[in-house]
This record gives sequence, structure tokens and C-alpha cells, in this order.
Amino acid sequence: MQMQAAKRRDRVRRPGERVSKGWLFLLPMAVFAFLFQYWPFLQTAVQSFCTVNFRGDITGFAGLENFRYLFSRREFSAALRNTLVLTAVNVPVTLALTLLLAWMTAGRRRLSPLTETLFALPMAVSMASVAMIFRVLLNPTVGYVNYCLGLNVGWLTDRHWAMPAILIMTVWMGIAFNYLLFLSAFRAVPKELTDSASLEGAGPLRLLFSVQLPLISPTILYVVCTNTVQAMMTNGPVLILTQGGPARSTMTLIYLMYTSGYGSSNYSLAACVSLISFGLTLLFTLLIFTTERGKVHYQ
Amino acid sequence: MTKKRRAAALTALDLLALLMALLVLFPVFYGVCGAFKTPEEFAAWPPTVLPNSFRNTENFTRVFAQAPMGRYYWNSFVMATMTSAVRLVLAVLAAYAFVFFDFPGHRTCFFLLLGTMMMPPDTLTIANYQTVSRMGLIDTYVGMGIVSFAGASQMFMLRQHFLTSPKALREAAMLDGCGDLRFLVSILAPTASPLLMTLFLQSFLTQWNAYLWPLLVTNRPEMRTVQVGLTMLTTVDGTNYEVMLAGAAVVMLPAMLFYAALRRFVSRAMENGPLLS
Repeated sequence: MQMQAAKRRDRVRRPGERVSKGWLFLLPMAVFAFLFQYWPFLQTAVQSFCTVNFRGDITGFAGLENFRYLFSRREFSAALRNTLVLTAVNVPVTLALTLLLAWMTAGRRRLSPLTETLFALPMAVSMASVAMIFRVLLNPTVGYVNYCLGLNVGWLTDRHWAMPAILIMTVWMGIAFNYLLFLSAFRAVPKELTDSASLEGAGPLRLLFSVQLPLISPTILYVVCTNTVQAMMTNGPVLILTQGGPARSTMTLIYLMYTSGYGSSNYSLAACVSLISFGLTLLFTLLIFTTERGKVHYQ
Repeated sequence: MTKKRRAAALTALDLLALLMALLVLFPVFYGVCGAFKTPEEFAAWPPTVLPNSFRNTENFTRVFAQAPMGRYYWNSFVMATMTSAVRLVLAVLAAYAFVFFDFPGHRTCFFLLLGTMMMPPDTLTIANYQTVSRMGLIDTYVGMGIVSFAGASQMFMLRQHFLTSPKALREAAMLDGCGDLRFLVSILAPTASPLLMTLFLQSFLTQWNAYLWPLLVTNRPEMRTVQVGLTMLTTVDGTNYEVMLAGAAVVMLPAMLFYAALRRFVSRAMENGPLLS
């Protein structure tokens, strides 16, 4: 009785107040989400169709002129090609490698805590420090990589080797995080399922492909999506190690956006590049989702 | 017999995994060792991994002499703490609004905020740079963090968590005359503290390691973060590998120790990760 009375009182007193209070709690986050996520997106979309001066003021309507100019530049075709290659190599390599590592270490055995920690540690290492270390490791004369492989290549200065160097580094940076995701996914597979499959005579490989992989497919989907987005956004190692060179061989879309927008203050061109990379990334994500539909198994 | 063979195979697998882990960690190990080498050791052929002596700390002294590393550390610390705190508070408030208030447009707002997760922040940097510089926030801590204040994924995780707390709890608190803010701070937040801690650490580490945005919005050397300062060490003197590596070690080791100490929290966050898909 008392509860009901209280509830009624609540209903009578509250409505107006509750509405405004809800907004009050939501407002701070909504303001920043609008200002630094939706607004820059709109701004980018508008600026790509306009002429923009070096201060970022819109001075006129340009139609498709910016895009036409961009498509005629060799930097752009190089950036587009490189970004696609990077994504096409990075995503499957990282996926296969981290799946393998997680599969090998999924069982809880004596050495597991040690291996786990070792694999996870690179997650704390910043991109800038990794870049510094790889700059020395890949150095043609004093670097250890050339020495070990018996090669004599200028990893960061030869236009055929610069892209593989960036790829090695980006794959390396992705290992720890994806490994941890897969490790917890493998461990979340119910033990009764793997046990009964083994009892029926399934070997480790059969177990992997028929039981474990289907069960961790949501994690695989997640990793493929986030890695695709990340690979499409590659720019840090390029910015620090190669500046898009030599001969545009490591130019990526986001690096091109950065140099044309921040370096040359050509904001409309930067806006075009960022709109294109956004569109492509969205397209790939949607494609992954549609092709995976039906194959991903949710428990 | 087969049992024995199985055990042997597993041991072999473990050793192989350990070997691969060491291989993966090799660049880090190489970098830290290189920080103790002298220029002569770098010039020598064949190249070595281990330095002659781990007592050669001259490179570290040179890093601190060449750049105001202490100042960089402070900048990174202030920026990362402030940003992560604001981000978390805003996410908590928004998640609270979505769970405990029923106002018109509530669902639309929720999906609009979640929609921001579809926009890769890197594509927005140039436009955001224009906004931040118009606001006069270049070379300020707020300018470095402001673009990360709204964290939709954090809001989403907190919402999922708040949904599990019994509605009756809030009603009881309200009957006792407890306001929303007080309920949130003294009753709801403590029950969510492991999650709050995880989210804070995660975003602290991300902010601490951020590179492109802090580079864009800082011009004055004394406002640089450690990450940006580290890469500037090379432009001072192009071929000082040992100083570069000492700088990398100085920047990377504290983060690794911090991470190793708190890995329990971070791996819990990992387990929540796939939820987002």
C-alpha cells in the first residue's frame, strides 16, 4: 500500500522534472560527441565540396572539382593502393598469427602464465617507442635484422622494402591485443564440448575447425572488423619512419590527409581524402558483416 | 603410452609457444639492451644484442640532458589523467540517464551516441584541429584531451552494467530522500568500481600512448608529451641510435610495468571487448 502511494506521488510530482533531469545527465557527453564527432564529420563533408582558405574558412562552392583534382594526383593513387595493400595483407596475417598463438597457449598449463604475460606485454608499448626501436633494428648497416637474415637491404630507404617494413611493424603492434582477445575466447569455449568431441575421437585439428573456431566466430568477426578499420587508418609508423617515401611507396590515405591538411593547409583536399577513407572503411565493415552473416555463430 | 606421448607433445607445444613469445618480445629486449650501448658498440660488426655492460647509463643522462623529459612526463600524466577522468564521468552520467530516466528522444540519442563508434577518429583529426585551434586551445591540456571526452564504448559498457542493478535499489534510495547524484556517487558507483577502474586504466594507457593528436595540437616544446618528445630526439641528432633507444626505454618501461601490475584489470576489459561487436 505504502509503496503504491509512494509510486503515485512519484508519478504526480515527477514527469516534467524527470525529463529535464535526464537531459541534464546526458547533455555533457552529447555536447562533446556533437562538437568533436558529428560536427567535424559534417565539416569534412561540406569542405570537400567547397573551396577553403588556409584559415579553414569556406570561400565558395567547388562541386566535384576537389575530387577531380585529387584523383589526378599521383600521391592519391599511391596512397589508395598502399592503404588497400596494407589492409589486405595486415588483416589476414594478424588474424592467422594471433589465432595460432592463442590456440597454442589456450590450455592452462604450467608455462601458460609466463607465455601469456610475454605475449601481452607489447600492448603497453607505445607506437612511438616501437617506431624508434624498429628504426634501429631495420637499419641497413647497424641493424640486427639484416645481419640475421643475411640481407643487405635499406628497409626504410628502398621503395620495394619500405612497405614490407611498415607491414612488419603494424602486424607486430597488433599481436598483443588480438592475442588476448582470442585467448579469452578460446578459454570461454565450454570444456564439456571439447571433452566430448575428443572422446568421440576428434583430433586437435578437427577440434579446432569443427568446435572451437565456430564457437569463437563472434570474436573473429570483431577482430577482423577492428583490424580492418585500424589498417585503413595506418599513419603513425609512416609519419615517424618514412614520411610516405621513398618515392611515395609508403604513402597512406591518412598520412596524405595529414600532410595536405596540416602540412600544406589545403583543407578541402584533406577533407576529400578523409571522406574517401571514411567511406571505404565503412564499406569494408559492412561487407564483412554481410559476408559473415550466417557463418558467425552466437551462443 | 599415449598419455605419455600426449604430455610430451604438450610440453613441446609449450616450449614452442615460449620461444615464439620471446621472438615477439625480441624488439623490446633489443631496444632496452641497445639503450646501454656505446656508439662504438653500434658501429662494430657483427652487430650484437647485449651491451658490453649494463652499467653504462650515459645514454639515459644524455636523454634527460637533451630534452626536458621530466616536463614531458608531467604533460603526458596530466593530459592522460584529466582526459580519462572527464571521459569516464561523462560516460557515467550519460549511461545513468539512459538507464534510469525515460524521456522523449531517449532511444534516438542512445543510437546517435553509439553511432560515433562508426567514425574512425583519425579521419576527423584535420577538421577537429581547425575547431580546436579556433577555440584557442592549441598548446593546452584541454586541447589535447577534448576530442576524446565523449567515449561511446565506455558509455555503452556502463549502461550494460547499470541495467543489471535492481531498479528497486534506486526507488528505495529515493524514498529515503536520496537524490540522483547522491545515489549515483555513493550507491551505484561503488558497485561498478571494477568496471570503472578498468575503463579508466584502458583510457589512461590509450591517452598516454597517443601520438598524432598531441603532435598536432602542440607547438611549444614545453607542452609536448613523452611520445612526441621521444620522436623529436632523433631530429636533434640523426644517428644517435643509443640515445634514441634510451629514450624509447625511458618512455616504454614505466608503461609496461604499470600494465604488468594491472594486467588483471586489463584482461577483464578484454573479455568485455567482444560484447561491442
